[in-house]
Amino acid sequence: MGNEAMKIFRLNPQTKKQWKRFRSIKRGYYSLLGITVLLAMSLVAELLVNNRAVAVRYDGNLYFPTYSAFIPGTEFGLGYEYETNYRELKTHFKGQSANWVLLSPVPYSAFETNFQLDAFPPYSPSFENKHFLGTDVSGRDILARLVYGFRLAMGFSVILLACNYILGIAIGCAMGFWGGVFDLLFQRLIEIWSNVPFLYVIMIVASVVVPTFWTLVTVMVIFGWMGMTWYMRTITYKEKAREYVAAAHALGASNTRIIFRHILPNSISIVVTFIPFSVAAGVTALTALDYLGFGLPPPTPSWGELLAQGTANLQAPWIVTSVVAAMTLVLLMVAYIGEAIREAFDPKKFTFYE
Amino acid sequence: MKRALFLALSLFLVSCSQDDAPQAPGQIPDTDAAELTLQSRFVEELPTYESLPLPAGLEWVTNVEDPVWSSPEATLGGTFNISVLSFPLTLRTVGPDSNDSFSAYKRYTNLGLVSIHPNTLNFIPQLATHWAFGPDGKTVYYRLDPDARWSDGELVTADDYLFTIDFMRSEHIVAPWYNNHYTNQIVSVIKYDDYTISVEGATAKPKEELLYEYGLNPTPRHFHKLDANWVQDYSWRSEPGTGAYRISRIEKGQFVEFGRQEDWWGNGKRYLAKRFNPDTVRVTVIRDMNVAWEYFLRGEIDAFPVLMPRFWHEKAQGEPFDNGYINRIKFYTDTPQPSAGLWLNTDDPILADRNVRLGLAHAMNIDLLLSTVLRGDYERLKTHHDGYWDYSNPNIQPREFDLQKADEYLDASGFPNRGPDGIRMRDGQRLALRVVYSTQEHTPRLVLLREEAKKAGIELNLQLLDSSAAFKQILEKQHQVAWMAWGIGLTPRFWQHYHSENAHKPQTNNITNTDDPQMDALIMEYRAATDRETRVRLAHQLEQMVHESGVFIPTYKVPYTREAYWRWLRLPEHYASRTTEAIFNPMVEGLFWIDEEIKAETLAAKDRGDTFEVVNIADTTWRIE
Repeated sequence: MGNEAMKIFRLNPQTKKQWKRFRSIKRGYYSLLGITVLLAMSLVAELLVNNRAVAVRYDGNLYFPTYSAFIPGTEFGLGYEYETNYRELKTHFKGQSANWVLLSPVPYSAFETNFQLDAFPPYSPSFENKHFLGTDVSGRDILARLVYGFRLAMGFSVILLACNYILGIAIGCAMGFWGGVFDLLFQRLIEIWSNVPFLYVIMIVASVVVPTFWTLVTVMVIFGWMGMTWYMRTITYKEKAREYVAAAHALGASNTRIIFRHILPNSISIVVTFIPFSVAAGVTALTALDYLGFGLPPPTPSWGELLAQGTANLQAPWIVTSVVAAMTLVLLMVAYIGEAIREAFDPKKFTFYE
Repeated sequence: MKRALFLALSLFLVSCSQDDAPQAPGQIPDTDAAELTLQSRFVEELPTYESLPLPAGLEWVTNVEDPVWSSPEATLGGTFNISVLSFPLTLRTVGPDSNDSFSAYKRYTNLGLVSIHPNTLNFIPQLATHWAFGPDGKTVYYRLDPDARWSDGELVTADDYLFTIDFMRSEHIVAPWYNNHYTNQIVSVIKYDDYTISVEGATAKPKEELLYEYGLNPTPRHFHKLDANWVQDYSWRSEPGTGAYRISRIEKGQFVEFGRQEDWWGNGKRYLAKRFNPDTVRVTVIRDMNVAWEYFLRGEIDAFPVLMPRFWHEKAQGEPFDNGYINRIKFYTDTPQPSAGLWLNTDDPILADRNVRLGLAHAMNIDLLLSTVLRGDYERLKTHHDGYWDYSNPNIQPREFDLQKADEYLDASGFPNRGPDGIRMRDGQRLALRVVYSTQEHTPRLVLLREEAKKAGIELNLQLLDSSAAFKQILEKQHQVAWMAWGIGLTPRFWQHYHSENAHKPQTNNITNTDDPQMDALIMEYRAATDRETRVRLAHQLEQMVHESGVFIPTYKVPYTREAYWRWLRLPEHYASRTTEAIFNPMVEGLFWIDEEIKAETLAAKDRGDTFEVVNIADTTWRIE
């Protein structure tokens, strides 16, 4: 059965055609490339945006602190037990050719507060200090928080999507396939469940416990799986009535075989079309919750928290500009991908005959 | 205990909101019901009370020697404009919906029996001219001022005080807290003649505490008809008071106006004269602080509190200030400070170790916090009871950020080694502590402390909860570290915070679970002592023990008030007093007055573009170093 399920994802001529079609829609295709690059970069963000150096050479030894355990300052001949400040170390090593520090392009972590003696945060963008997008009101680098916030939001969104779709497809498909009382029962259940005000639930949860990544995912899955069921139910009903399903039945195919071999592959285009929009919805939802203060606990880097800071501190326009620009860019790219996928999966290339 | 907590919570909220714009809920009252009634007699047959013979041997005291702190130059007249964020839901001072942001105005239309001189801190006469203490240590006798009048001209007599008890105990007012307070805290009020009463409290206390804790306001018995409809009937009736002002006009949802009494009985009294000077106080509802600020810049509001750093540093700048139309004042006060800081739960296995607590204290970079995130506006709080005048122990200095000392204490505590992330470990347990707090605006402060604490190998995990959930956790002693502030009292309160009787059980204020027999003995001695010298000595000793135990890490205080005001508001020579909370509150101290000539001059100059000398007052008379 597993083997059969895998066949859904095997490239067949139609998929190839759809891929070709997708590539021909330029802005969707470049958006996909862009998002992929961003995601890939965010996966190795520790090398690019980090207060830990990429590499240090000291007394003939090479250190790679990025993914290792913390290295106390004493290790490099500095007079403190806590984690080495690599930016200071770089200044310290200046003029010593044997010892050197290779810093990340953005030498700040998302948590570190960095203060200047002559001014109060938030600090404006500065190439000299390598705060390329400035800092927030706690003196933390905005670019660092954007990057780690992006990774978190995308991760959240993808996990949320996977859970929602697995539940939604399974239940929706079952409703359409079996129909009858089962369908009726679940329809009513979903109708009732959809009317529970989701935001209140989140607010109640957030006031009682500090929401973690997984509590948020759980709560959002509990209230988010219903959307997909309607589409799957409809498409299953439709496909089930087709002759090829009847033929499969007549040949003695089991229900499992019919669902996995015939119905699901034929409804996959619907699911795929929805994915980009669900990703965008997930990112927006997390940002909105963080903005309202019901999301991930501080000091987690988050776009919503940055947005809240930015709107409360309009005199520091770089905060709100950065996060709004980042959000617009990502959501726009996701929307373009979605648009291109929809086009590519649309069997009617032309809407009228010529 | 409940009351203390209630006070603490409300004061905490007040102290929190000093730097955050408090946004009152945008609730709009049923405006049709908001018809003001100025009638003041609703009761035909007044309740009267029996007189008892006055016990012999009472030693009557008064105080007419303390200096007058109002200005002899003050003149009556003018309209003072000020703003609030929301319209009151009712004009009642008790009962449902009465405790809102407006209640401070409503309550100050009535005076108390005695008051505290804001500079000498001695008690001074107000509605009572003399007072005497009973031998039982819990009763105070008062001789009432026969000149006192309600704002409708009726005499204020002993019966009005006895009626307060009937009123406050009544179920018709739907106010359980008051029902309880006037039954269990104020046990009885006795009349001896029309102008002599006594008030008996529940427990014996030192004299100053008796006057402070068991105070009593008269209630106009000719005004209140107590029946089942009281809550509804009295929502929009303007209650006569003993103070200078009475609500005289309201415009639904827009403003409340207070009118000053002509021939107010207090005009000729030593400590009441030349105060509460504007003829009219108009409190306008402006639902947004930033909008209110714009009104202020146009001169439609006369004064604006600018304690919040954002207002002081960014908004209170520019043309109207540089042209000398609007003055600024930063006035240091000397008054008890809310105990803001980190409260450590000693029942927690990690924090049970004193070395960890002291190590943590030395790992808190409060000075960096003050000089960066708090913009140098706040000052370091020294102890739990800071600013309690002679009661505060002047020899205690808070623990400074010192990683070497932190390392020494933490090494001694059995957390000598650091894990792979730089956090100290003991038998596989990380030195990670959860800090519960409830104000989102405090997050940047905690974020800074968290990052600095990492240097000492301590991890702080921030737990932001909504305030009721946070207090529930703290009062059930489920917290590790609580980031909060207790409100203030007249004298230090050790029993509720540090006595073992309140430790290890929920719903008490001993949130550190301090349990020390030696301290218990001293606390009981402190509670029983009635002479000031002994109490001060014990308070110093106890404060020292609290400091030694390291259960509280003090953070910051704001020992001043800041205001911006149009130059036509005039202040006395010394601007304000030692314990002033708000210089331009027209009803609490009410020292300022309006100069109409200067107002006309200023407005004309503003039109022409003429300028005046810039006034930027920084008064440090009462600053404590």
